[in-house]
Amino acid sequence: MMSIQIINLIKRILIFSVFLIIGYTLLLFLFGSVLKPKHLPNLVYKVGHNYLRLQEVRQTSNVDLLFLGSSHAYRGFDTRIFSASNYKAFNLGSSSQTPIQTLILIDRYLKKLNPKLVVFEVNPMVFASDGVESGLDLIVNDNNDLHSLKMVFNQKNIKLHNTYLYTLVNGIFNDTVYVKNKAYKKGGYVAKLKPAYFNGEEQDKTLITFNENQIKSFETILRRLNKNCINYILVQAPVTSLKYNSYSNIKAFNSLMASYGDYYNYNEVLNLNDTIDFYDSHHLNQTGVNIFNKAFINFLDNNFQDLKE
Amino acid sequence: MLFNSIDFTIFLPIVFLIYWLLNSHLRAQNLFVAISSYVFYGWWDYRFLFLIFFSTVVDFFIAKNIQKSRDPKVRKLLLICSLFTNLGLLGVFKYYNFFVENFNQAFTFLGYHVNGSSLNIVLPVGISFYTFQTLSYTIDVYRSKLQPTHNFVSFAAFVSFFPQLVAGPIERATNLLPQFYKSRKFEYTNAVDGLRQILWGLFKKMVIADNCALYADMIFNNSESYSGSTLALGAVFFAFQIYGDFSGYSDIAIGTSRLFGFNLMQNFAFPYFSRDVAEFWRRWHISLSTWFRDYLYIPLGGSRSHKVRNVFVIFLVSGFWHGANWTFIIWGAINALYFIPLLLAKRNRVNTSIVAENKRLPSPKELFNIITTFSLVTIAWVFFRAESVSHALIFIRDMFSLDLLSLPVYSIRKLIYPIVVLLAFFVVVEWFGRKDKYAIENLLKNKFTPIRWAFYTLIIFLIGMYMQTEETPFIYFQF
Repeated sequence: MMSIQIINLIKRILIFSVFLIIGYTLLLFLFGSVLKPKHLPNLVYKVGHNYLRLQEVRQTSNVDLLFLGSSHAYRGFDTRIFSASNYKAFNLGSSSQTPIQTLILIDRYLKKLNPKLVVFEVNPMVFASDGVESGLDLIVNDNNDLHSLKMVFNQKNIKLHNTYLYTLVNGIFNDTVYVKNKAYKKGGYVAKLKPAYFNGEEQDKTLITFNENQIKSFETILRRLNKNCINYILVQAPVTSLKYNSYSNIKAFNSLMASYGDYYNYNEVLNLNDTIDFYDSHHLNQTGVNIFNKAFINFLDNNFQDLKE
Repeated sequence: MLFNSIDFTIFLPIVFLIYWLLNSHLRAQNLFVAISSYVFYGWWDYRFLFLIFFSTVVDFFIAKNIQKSRDPKVRKLLLICSLFTNLGLLGVFKYYNFFVENFNQAFTFLGYHVNGSSLNIVLPVGISFYTFQTLSYTIDVYRSKLQPTHNFVSFAAFVSFFPQLVAGPIERATNLLPQFYKSRKFEYTNAVDGLRQILWGLFKKMVIADNCALYADMIFNNSESYSGSTLALGAVFFAFQIYGDFSGYSDIAIGTSRLFGFNLMQNFAFPYFSRDVAEFWRRWHISLSTWFRDYLYIPLGGSRSHKVRNVFVIFLVSGFWHGANWTFIIWGAINALYFIPLLLAKRNRVNTSIVAENKRLPSPKELFNIITTFSLVTIAWVFFRAESVSHALIFIRDMFSLDLLSLPVYSIRKLIYPIVVLLAFFVVVEWFGRKDKYAIENLLKNKFTPIRWAFYTLIIFLIGMYMQTEETPFIYFQF
């Protein structure tokens, strides 16, 4: 039998826990309001261009193309170019977006956007990621609901917990400050404003270790798209050849992606120049984006004739 | 399993509840402690559980036979068997490569080519701690200071007791083993005190040590490119890192034991407030220092004969115990050189009381002595942290260059404000709690409960805000 003293201890701990939750939240709000973000390593509360994207997505419906994925998506698919080719496109990519966050986003916005085709940008790193960076981005920039709460509890990262709690409390007292961002373009694309070129730095060899939770979320997304009768294709956007060749098990990744459906790897299709067409090892500059998007539109015109408005 | 992991956060309450449910069955409770401890250790690597079990079995039977035997030669032989087994395990797993490499280098230096090959050996976590703990048992039985136990389960629980299994305190059998013989009583105040000590230990580890480690690593890993003052800052960060890490572990171990009704020895007594190096060594890693005192220094003759040699041996062995590297041996030697003048001048026991007792602040002389001692200890820590002896020597040479008096480089300075504020908070709390067993033992004790709870909430908040998002192991796991 448990002694009375132990039961008293457990009761005391429970009462303290209530005190702790209230006190912790107040301290979080106080520190978050007074100190600079750089002095609070486990709290993120600076809104970015994803805030503008998620504001815009609420005003958007019935698109031809929906782009999902990481910065490779939102910096790789220029919605202005697609618009000029008569594709109504929306880019729902976000920083380091992993399938865990993509799943939340499609649960929130898929029905309203009602795309004819989903272009799901897949790259090896997001499947190896724990998804914290993207989770923070989503919590800070979007309205939080039960999906975000579930994500916070599943990911067990103190930064996510702190940021979620802070966002909830801050939402009661303050309006989110609108951030003017010239790089953000209508439709969700983020442009590189000044010309920039990759310096050709050697990339360390990387073995991609697939995160099981990411694979599970990825499969759930595909099931959900199938269930809603929405076509999708998987696309790997171009990265520099130095980066692409640094993945020691890229073949295994390509085979895995091909097993999930139509998979187009533009690293194998286009012959881009590492220095001229990229601004860093991962991202195309505007010259590269123009080439990539033109090739991709060409592909769409040939294979998906019924997509256009 | 790490104390600062989610696994342990789940493990501890489950073990706690089952343990106290078994309270009326002492044998079952001890068996449960042993099993839980094996699970705790096996979480890291189950393959090395056999080493603990082997050590346990060997010392259990050897101690029983030592007591049975009347023949001094047989008793001595049995003791040697125990020493050989335990130190042999330590030698193979911890020191084999060190000896082979040095052997090769020595012969190469003499012009001979010897090809002793080193092995890819994984060092079992905590091996230096539990082998010393079980050795103390056999030696005490040999010296007739302790009756051997006939209860294998109690002995296995004593050797593997999970709160202190992997990084101490290194408990004496005379203190811990008898606690397994009698039934434990849950005491509310003791448990609450244990929780408080765990909280302070977590703060030391997750806020102080892990954040200092970021900057200590940054500076030590690129020491050739920093100014003298930046290197000095790096050494200070390492001093706080190792203190926060190791004393934090001890606090969590002692606090956890108290939840289960056990009392472990104090392992740290605010060593950075020491006024001389002798006092520092009475306050730093007390369980290891006293172990060496009782089982090596005194048998060598203590302070009665060859005291300088004996002190030197103790410090060298202590250094070598920490790791199979010349850097640790030199670290030990430097501390011996600090200590011996005090011993010869008979000033090694001048400062035995608490600094500035019953006073709020130290006197200027005390403050000067504290800063001098801390500086000496910090210089020695450079050897402890450096990759090699030459790295340490260059680090110290560059540290004492002219730019020691300049400001540390801007790229470091602009980053460290939060940790400097946290360190200031930490030092103040430690100062006001220096007469207790751990800093917050009696802090705000007589205050209104919400004030006390607000303070604990602040500590938990600081942990939540400044902890690393990746689990970071304790430094002393590698020893």
